[in-house]
Amino acid sequence: MSDFLDQVEACVPALRRYARALTRNADLADDLVQDCLERAISRRGLFRPNGPIRAWLYTILLNIHRNGLRAARRHGETVDLDSVPEPSTPASQPGHLALAEMVRAIDTLPLEQKEALLLVALEGLAYQEAADILAVPLGTLMSRLARARASLRVATGTPAEPHLRTVK
Amino acid sequence: MSQITQDMLMAYADGQLDGPERDAVAAHLTANPDAAIEISLFQRQNDAIQTLFAPVGAEPVPARLRARRLAAERGQRLQRRFGWAVAAVMLVGVGLGAGWLIRPMVDARPVSQTLIADAVNAHTVYVAENRHAVEVGSDDSEHLTTWLSNRLDTNLGMPDLSGEGFSLVGGRLLPGEPEAGGRAAQLMYENTDKDRITIYVTAALPDRTAAYEFATYDGAEAFYWANARITCTVVGTLPEGAMKQVSQAVYRQLTEGDVEAGRYRG
Repeated sequence: MSDFLDQVEACVPALRRYARALTRNADLADDLVQDCLERAISRRGLFRPNGPIRAWLYTILLNIHRNGLRAARRHGETVDLDSVPEPSTPASQPGHLALAEMVRAIDTLPLEQKEALLLVALEGLAYQEAADILAVPLGTLMSRLARARASLRVATGTPAEPHLRTVK
Repeated sequence: MSQITQDMLMAYADGQLDGPERDAVAAHLTANPDAAIEISLFQRQNDAIQTLFAPVGAEPVPARLRARRLAAERGQRLQRRFGWAVAAVMLVGVGLGAGWLIRPMVDARPVSQTLIADAVNAHTVYVAENRHAVEVGSDDSEHLTTWLSNRLDTNLGMPDLSGEGFSLVGGRLLPGEPEAGGRAAQLMYENTDKDRITIYVTAALPDRTAAYEFATYDGAEAFYWANARITCTVVGTLPEGAMKQVSQAVYRQLTEGDVEAGRYRG
């Protein structure tokens, strides 16, 4: 079992990073990670699928996050975007998009697109692994990514015509 | 290379392609500067996301997010919960045990109440019967008297209630309370309106003291008394006045000749 705890422990920094990007609030994010770890520890052995622990942890975290949002919606506790502290934004460097704009654009993405985009672009997961975590077909994941990226492009003011269309 | 799709460009930018596919896209890019712009845009989005959020992954992990500590805390919590569960089970056990021990003190219902309940119950069951209302009919009243007297180990005469308009239907033997000899006799009477009353007789209680009680139980009127020889409960659904009249007639006849009866004669 200590082997299991070691593997979980190794995933914590990545989980915190992902949770922070999802919630954009350090305390909320760490609460989310703590809930996720507690649930994982209480279910080890019993419910753990055979796949990698990391993917399983992302799945748990996303479930808790969605349930929390659902509960918050029910109770009407919405967090004002402006009241959420921005992550420290370094001065924009050449070649980078304006980061503050980027943050705002990500925040306004639909949750399912944001979940997918961050799994791939931030966590560097393979498409198939991200699709498994989100429990959607690979094609669905790809279209969520494409829509997310298109929104970011519009929102960040870098319009570009798609030159190539998907050939079906 | 017409089958280079938007999805493939995105996958290329995300570093998700390998081998021939990646080479194919790379070759495509040299010929299509627009696609190259597209890809650099994707990559800049990725870079921005990395710049924004990747540093969190390098922050020191707060103590509360240490998996080992969480597991240890959970173990303690479970242990505590188990402790509470054990305590709860033991408390319930102690309560049950104590309750059982003081049961005789709490179970204050006097025997007379039990006998009245039995009498009313037997009344309700058998007055509803037509062909099997009694075990031995009134046409064999001599046998009935001997039989029931023997079984109750006492001298039981059949009261004559003709003065009150009731005639004997018959009687039967019933199981009874252990305190009252374990057996009971039920005598049934009926008037011309088909109203029925029953008389429930048992051997005397161990204390043999006299008692006297009028009770309404389960919709029926019951008149109970006990003496040194028998206990008797008269049960019926007549109006209270009529019930009293019948009961007094029964009482008079069944206590007749009893030495101690006189004191309680009503």
